[in-house]
Amino acid sequence: MDFGLTQPQELLRDSIARFLAQDVGIERVRRVMDSDSGRDEAIHGQLGDQGITGLLIDMDFGGSELGMQEAAIAAQELGRAAAPVNFHSAYVLAPLLLAGADAGERKSALLEGIAEGRSLITPILDAPIDGGRIDGAVLYVPDAPWSDAFLLESGGSLHLLDASVPGIDIEPLETVDDTRRVAEVTFAGIDLGAAESLGGSADSTRRAVHAARIALAADALGAAQKGLHISVEYAKERKQFERIIGSFQAVKHICAEVLAEVDPVQSLLWHTADAWDGGSDEINHLAPLLKAHATEVASTAVTMTTQVFGGMGFTHECDMHIFYKRAGYDRQMMGNPTALREQAAAVMYG
Amino acid sequence: MQDRVAPIMDTSIGSEYDSLREEVRSFFAANEDVAVPAGPGFGGDASEVRRRVVEWQKRLVDGGYAGREIPQRYGGAGHEPDPLASLVIEEEFQDAGISLGMENQGISMFVPTLLHFGREDQKQDLIRPTIRGEMIWCQGYSEPGSGSDLASLRTSAVLDGDEYVINGQKIWTSGAREAEMMFALIRTEADAGKHAGISYIVLPMDTPGIEVRPLMTMTGDASFNEVFFTDVRVPATNVIGRPGQGWEVGTYTLRFERNMLGRSNATENYLTGCVDILRETGLIDSPVYRDRLLKLEGRVQAMKYHQLRLLTDRLKKRDSGAGGLIVKLNNCQLNYDVCALAIDAMAERGVLRRGSKHVRDYGNWQRNYMYALGLIIGGGTAQIQKNIIGERGLGLPREPKPAAA
Repeated sequence: MDFGLTQPQELLRDSIARFLAQDVGIERVRRVMDSDSGRDEAIHGQLGDQGITGLLIDMDFGGSELGMQEAAIAAQELGRAAAPVNFHSAYVLAPLLLAGADAGERKSALLEGIAEGRSLITPILDAPIDGGRIDGAVLYVPDAPWSDAFLLESGGSLHLLDASVPGIDIEPLETVDDTRRVAEVTFAGIDLGAAESLGGSADSTRRAVHAARIALAADALGAAQKGLHISVEYAKERKQFERIIGSFQAVKHICAEVLAEVDPVQSLLWHTADAWDGGSDEINHLAPLLKAHATEVASTAVTMTTQVFGGMGFTHECDMHIFYKRAGYDRQMMGNPTALREQAAAVMYG
Repeated sequence: MQDRVAPIMDTSIGSEYDSLREEVRSFFAANEDVAVPAGPGFGGDASEVRRRVVEWQKRLVDGGYAGREIPQRYGGAGHEPDPLASLVIEEEFQDAGISLGMENQGISMFVPTLLHFGREDQKQDLIRPTIRGEMIWCQGYSEPGSGSDLASLRTSAVLDGDEYVINGQKIWTSGAREAEMMFALIRTEADAGKHAGISYIVLPMDTPGIEVRPLMTMTGDASFNEVFFTDVRVPATNVIGRPGQGWEVGTYTLRFERNMLGRSNATENYLTGCVDILRETGLIDSPVYRDRLLKLEGRVQAMKYHQLRLLTDRLKKRDSGAGGLIVKLNNCQLNYDVCALAIDAMAERGVLRRGSKHVRDYGNWQRNYMYALGLIIGGGTAQIQKNIIGERGLGLPREPKPAAA
């Protein structure tokens, strides 16, 4: 019995946290938020240098060949830092879909590019492929304006479409969470021959989707923990009525309730990542259950801890809204809690 | 990466415990005739229930499953503390749906405290009958004026020769009418400080001058009582620990109360029972009920793995910090919420109580729903738990003392 992270995993967590604290501080996050595009061009290379982009990629392709537990560790730290990156899409979903693709030079090159932080591949699940054509609009695509290629999944089959192919129109959408933007991508009847067929399977797609959901849950947990941390720190300093506000039970109990809900999510995350790594069938209900539960708890947590700051909590100046919005994005993307509870129920109870 | 099949986390117990599993199973087979089922499906006539529970308790002690880590000279099985062995036993009992014995204040709270602070003769006399279910204990802590602020208690004991003379009143005393014995916090030094003047004293409930008045609770049971002391004389040797050490001894006991009230196995049993009701009523197909059920599943699963994390901390002799402080708060609320869903699923049948025609599971759902509310309050209210989490877990400052009037 040893339920928890191993020592190497704790070292990985600490080194990612250190890197993010040094290089991806809140000032940098705010610059990206305030920019028009929402792009942080340098971050992919930096994450590549840190080995964060290649956690789920085999050593043969330049990755570190670790597992979901390590990817979840990274996602949680990225959420804690509100780092401007769609980790769940670019570094979990994309490499895992590609891992299930047919072997070949193209697959190797793509995975190597991702592992180095050079290539940004954006997966599109259930892509509008019909009758040999790619035709239609896809909404809420992360990173679309600066993606190198789109990895189109349809019925388990994968096609890689270079972003430079004519007939792709990308229109950025305005998002609440400015640290991660999405776009509408329209494919104007592109011949499927313009894309490269990479094989793929429904099983591998399903596993990749589970993994991306675990990453979003971990991101939300990190954001909720950071929100609790900064609100507790504030409650230890701020004085009203000649008292530290954290000594008022009304404030103290908010913090205690949030901790009581958030802390056990860590254990459910560990177990779920572990079930994914172990190839257990449990993952079919655990992944949706985890994402539903973690993001539900995170939403409540950031709602409550924002109130610890009083009026400051509502301002742009206070960092709390960054984590509030972060948790909101994690909640909505790839299945919201209500939809995922139903999905888990279908697996558990028919 | 796809071929990495070994989970990183070792949640297995290890094959060295396989023989223990076998042992437990043969114990079940050999004692089938008296085994008491766990969960909501057991109940009926109160004295018959008690008789069966005590009979089962003796078998459990003889089999080494209750009082497992109590030294043999005090009537236990004398096993070394082994959290994994305890976990294996809990799992086997849970899978078989069999009760792991009495969990009362004597066994779960008094005995560990006595082992830590008691004199040899006290251990010799009191532990054996307690773990065998022959000596039932009640806890004399709270008083009408001392609830959450326990150390303000005023029941007093004055030394007269080699006896203490006790006067005062206790309240919320569970099981006082059934109990043979009480362990109590009593003020023995009126002039010492608030915490310093208290002693931990044990006394037989049939001592002259003790009067017990039942206090009806919302469950319809008189499970609580008021206990009045009028010139009650007990030997001065009945103190556990030193006179004046009572606050330390008594709060040591409370630690076990938080553990006893916060166990998650019961929650899982009740959730399983709740799913049965949803299936029977067809409500398992209702999206609204499914959503409520899955919300509970998320919380129950999170607490289940949280317990494994705490267990790992124990095995590594590591402090769990705030993680250890949230268990009572969360699990008591979860038990309540699971019972609430089950009762909702019963619709109008949910209004019935124990003893009624048509009642389901002996009215245990209705009783436990209300009893769980009692446990949210008892053993340190949810609000006191939140103070503890905020202050000890998060380092937030205490409420300042009001300025002297």
